[in-house]
Amino acid sequence: MITLEELRALGADVETGLSRCMGKEDLYLKLISMGLGDAKFEELGAVLEAGDLSKAFEICHALKGVIGNLAITPLYEILSTMTEKLRAKEQTDYKAMYSDILKIRSKFWKPQT
Amino acid sequence: MEDLFERTILIVDDESINRELLGNIIQSEYKVIYAADGKEALEKIHSEGNTISLVLLDLLMPVMNGNEVLKTMNDEGIINEIPVIVLTSEKSSEIESLKLGAADFLTKPYDLPEVILARVRHSIQLFENSKIIHATEFDKLTLLYSPEFFFEYASQFDQRFPDKVMDAVVVNFTRFHLLNELKGRSFGDEILNAMADGIRKALLKTGGIAGRNEADFFYLYVPHDENHNILLDKIKDSLSPLLKPSEIRLRLGVYSDSEHKFAMTQRFDHAVQACNSLRNKTSGDSDICIYDDKMAEKEVFDAHLLQDFEAAIEQKQFQVNYQPKFNIKGDKPVLCSAEALVRWIHPELGFVRPDLFIPLFEENGLVTKLDRYVWEESAKQIRRWKDELGVTIPVSVNVSRVDIAAPDMTDFITKIVKENGLSASEYMLEITESAYTSDSKHIVEVIENLRSLGHKVEMDDFGSGYSSLNMLTSMPIDVLKMDKAFIRNIQPGNKEMKLVELVLDIAKNLGVPVVAEGVET
Repeated sequence: MITLEELRALGADVETGLSRCMGKEDLYLKLISMGLGDAKFEELGAVLEAGDLSKAFEICHALKGVIGNLAITPLYEILSTMTEKLRAKEQTDYKAMYSDILKIRSKFWKPQT
Repeated sequence: MEDLFERTILIVDDESINRELLGNIIQSEYKVIYAADGKEALEKIHSEGNTISLVLLDLLMPVMNGNEVLKTMNDEGIINEIPVIVLTSEKSSEIESLKLGAADFLTKPYDLPEVILARVRHSIQLFENSKIIHATEFDKLTLLYSPEFFFEYASQFDQRFPDKVMDAVVVNFTRFHLLNELKGRSFGDEILNAMADGIRKALLKTGGIAGRNEADFFYLYVPHDENHNILLDKIKDSLSPLLKPSEIRLRLGVYSDSEHKFAMTQRFDHAVQACNSLRNKTSGDSDICIYDDKMAEKEVFDAHLLQDFEAAIEQKQFQVNYQPKFNIKGDKPVLCSAEALVRWIHPELGFVRPDLFIPLFEENGLVTKLDRYVWEESAKQIRRWKDELGVTIPVSVNVSRVDIAAPDMTDFITKIVKENGLSASEYMLEITESAYTSDSKHIVEVIENLRSLGHKVEMDDFGSGYSSLNMLTSMPIDVLKMDKAFIRNIQPGNKEMKLVELVLDIAKNLGVPVVAEGVET
């Protein structure tokens, strides 16, 4: 599990995140783990593959909300960008964007083995 | 046992992390319950609604989203019971939610916990305060305004529209307490609700506001109108499913204050006085009385009469006149008896008409003293005629319904008859028709008692009150006296004549002689 220091170093707004958790570090770290491990990340890939942009928007929007609340700033920013593009149904290279998302995510999170 | 002051917040979000974050913040001050979608949220609201003080509602959820929840809460009226704060990251959805009745909104990502808690506290307080006002603002039964709020709003109305001429109107159901007694309180409540409905419908047309004061007094502050027909009609319409037209007895007191001279409560006092002045109308029609300066004068005049009553009795200012009654069966009319009528010769006011003081004394509990005075004088007068003129002229005295209620009435009459050495047959009693309709059982007992002692009993003013024809068969009376109004307009063949003939017929069948009042020639 990642530590607060590591989160800070990676650019997460730990102070804001902690305050949202009423200062409870254990809670914050637990929720970060849950948030990063959400199966929606995988789902997003699948629906983008299938070309279902409106479903992708729903999933991306939901992820953005949670990651935003957890103040994982770099991940939040890229998810926001994709959400807006999906909302506008822009034709863009979602595949590339999606792999960027996974890349940033993996910095913060390693799947449990 | 639950802490009475513990409040519960319902958190609705499909994301478990969001639920946990919010829950963790909220539980520092409240008890928390959760729902993962709109459907679950409504289930929780339905089952635990009484304990939920506020709902935190995410908008984007599967199955049923936040706005759909709000719509349902609107339809079911719950939106007025529980404040809802919506959680949204989209600016555009805020407006829709607010329109649907959301009390407030919180953005995502979440504000600082202090901000969230403050907004929750604030919304709860606002709702609870408005519920308290709501509880006292309206009369519980009819949901019209309670008196304090009515007067407050009426005064505010004046401030906003200083040039509008408004009427203070008081509506009352005459002798409502009788209705309660005869048909039960829950029927009485139905009547009041029906009147309130009629009033609301009238206000939709006329504008203005209405409140309910005690029992059956309704206060209205409405734009000026000559006769407030719309109001009367709407109330009568609402009452028609519950009562027969003849049973509907409404009276309206109106005070019009074009210059807004008097304070609101004073204006309504005047309207109440106008309304009460219609108290003695026994006719079934609804009536309206508009307060004017004459009323104020009347109030002063009445107070004057009341003050002077005791002195008048002592100084014998009340005089008894004897109106002769003739038997017209033979060739020539023959004097057969006399009716005792009281007159007041007041030292300052001069001759005071009986209709000005008798109803007043009836209302104020003085009539019994007056009547007994008249009874005694009449008995003495019969004695005097016997001693000085050698003739026996029976006299009939008036007995009001209040007199009959006194338990010692028969004893008193027996006493004065004896004191003056009269026989009971020389001392006759006239009981006005309206007395019969109040408490028949007691009256019948009293009358039968008097008749058994030898007195003759007459029913006075027949036709002016509410008696039903079959009452005649159960009342033990010796003479029926028809009210002047009955015979005033008779012409051969017209319906007034037919009615008189009908009464005469009934009376003949009952073996009761009939006297016509007010025959001049």
